[in-house]
Amino acid sequence: MSNKVPAANKIKTDLHEILDVRFITDSTFVLRFERKGIEFEAGQHICVGPPNGIHTREYSIYSAEKDDFIEILVKEVENGLVSPSLKKLQKGGFVVVEEPVGYFTINKELPTDQEYVFIASGTGVSPFHSFVLSKENLNYSLLHGVKYGSEGYDSEIYDSKRYKLCTSQEGTGDYYGRVTEYLKEKPFGKSAQYFLCGNCNMIHDVYDILEDQGVSTDNIHAEVYF
Amino acid sequence: MEFSLAKKKVGFKTLGCRLNQFETDALASKFVGMGYDVVEDSKDTDVFVVNTCTVTNQSDQKSRYAVNNALNKGHSGMLIITGCMANHHKEKLEEKYPNAYVVDNENKSAIPELVQAHFNKEIVPVNQNSGGVFNYSPAAETFHTRSMIKIQDGCDNFCTFCIIPKVRGRATSRPVDEILENIKEVVSFGYKEVVITGVNISRYKHNGIGFSDLLKKILEIPLDFRVRISSIEPDSFDDQFFALLKHPKVTPHLHLCLQSASESILLQMRRMYTYRSYKEIVNKLRAINPLFNVTTDIIVGFPGESEEDLQKSADAIRELNFGHVHTFKYSKREDTRAARMTNILPEKEKTERSEVIRDVALESKIAFRKRFIGLEQEVLIDTINGNASKGYGQSYVPISILQKLQKNQLYKVRIIDIEKQGNDPLLIGEIVV
Repeated sequence: MSNKVPAANKIKTDLHEILDVRFITDSTFVLRFERKGIEFEAGQHICVGPPNGIHTREYSIYSAEKDDFIEILVKEVENGLVSPSLKKLQKGGFVVVEEPVGYFTINKELPTDQEYVFIASGTGVSPFHSFVLSKENLNYSLLHGVKYGSEGYDSEIYDSKRYKLCTSQEGTGDYYGRVTEYLKEKPFGKSAQYFLCGNCNMIHDVYDILEDQGVSTDNIHAEVYF
Repeated sequence: MEFSLAKKKVGFKTLGCRLNQFETDALASKFVGMGYDVVEDSKDTDVFVVNTCTVTNQSDQKSRYAVNNALNKGHSGMLIITGCMANHHKEKLEEKYPNAYVVDNENKSAIPELVQAHFNKEIVPVNQNSGGVFNYSPAAETFHTRSMIKIQDGCDNFCTFCIIPKVRGRATSRPVDEILENIKEVVSFGYKEVVITGVNISRYKHNGIGFSDLLKKILEIPLDFRVRISSIEPDSFDDQFFALLKHPKVTPHLHLCLQSASESILLQMRRMYTYRSYKEIVNKLRAINPLFNVTTDIIVGFPGESEEDLQKSADAIRELNFGHVHTFKYSKREDTRAARMTNILPEKEKTERSEVIRDVALESKIAFRKRFIGLEQEVLIDTINGNASKGYGQSYVPISILQKLQKNQLYKVRIIDIEKQGNDPLLIGEIVV
């Protein structure tokens, strides 16, 4: 038996310098920090927290695999322990970052013309932003459910024919209603791969709709936001 | 430096999962090789090792009890606390037990060297990364009839209730060649059954070899043994895996962790499957063998679990006819996502819900076992008690035979009845001549 396996596999944590803080709405911002050699696959998440606290929170990576920085999309949670602190941080400050984890990733063995349907609520659009920026010629449709049109975070980066902003509280998006209603009206078919990211209720409802539409559970992948 | 104090006695107490059992077995075997007597309690021992678990509050309590019990009974030798509680509550344990060595999982495999240094009066740091999560030798002398084979450690699933990724670390897989070599060695020691063990074995991945590829290589070893796959997550099976389950060396049993049959609770738990997909897997297993034994874990009282959610789990136990269900009351683990959830159920309610699940699970277990009456099983004998012998068939059903047989031998047994009482009624069998 070899003695060369000191494979301590503890989660690695490091301090990363903040390169930019870009506000999209009053409460939602993109935090960009140095990459420091972190390897990740689009769709994975990292735990991020302020440098002087003991708490971190999980955020899907927003930036592309090829970028030389990491970005996360943060919505401030009222009375939250982490996001209000992150909101106060500025360029030149630091965040604590744990290495990326997660299996909410695109299966590389699927054909290159595979159809993908991405369904997000709120900041659950993050992994899809990373998918679209990271994978060339991706055959995707993105349904993004928000309350108001102003929450279509960086929607200009998507092909307008592939992106539907579904607004539930006002008619300022591409579709006035919830993503679930859109999906019922316009099914995508059984052969697509469905990726769902956002709150539990949305994912739960979408699962039911897809099941009614005959989509196999093998074709549905979910990442829950809390 | 040679170890010079032979015939000292080391005792072990192991809590929790099969991985801990594997690691204890490997350590015990190494101590035997170093000239120690190895026992399963602290009495009259020079060294007592508590291999702890922290997966629930109850696991913490049991682990602490094992330490306190040894001290209360007068253990005055070297005390080692290792395992997941040692990772999770290291500082607290060091404070409470200042004379104990608190050894984390990454250094558990180096405990024999630590003991050797202690008796040689050398001062060595307790956790100096001299171990490694796979640095265990094949165990010749163990506490078990089956030989557990560690293929993987750690987990990247990050289920919201689970502390394991924090205490076992990131998923990491053992090299294929080491696993195959380990199996060949333990089979040569006389083991008839190997149990594939890890924290999240279906995510095994080493140099492009996935779990199914590894299983295929294991089954191709040209030796006489059978393979049991222990606890596995139902989230990454491929067609090759189901095909391999038909192999004669593979025993028709999986401990397939369900946790809840409520889709909404599964989402809150951040499990990587739905009840629908779980059911599809069980249907595939039962298509391979109608008596495929599926055992599982159910957590009751997860934050926000409604009566309706609980009922779904109870219905699932009947619907899927589980051979056995481990029922756990949800325990809040700090540093997990679920610890931040509201809508916590009172302890009393969780206890009552456990009873509901346990009752249904017992009905299911008895119904499942009765289906074996009239059929044959290949039984690996693990216990001899007077003129009776007990062991597990290939389907992992416990069988009692009113005959004095030989331990660690396989016997063809016809099932003729089932015990009428108890929470774990044994099947009763007779040797097929």
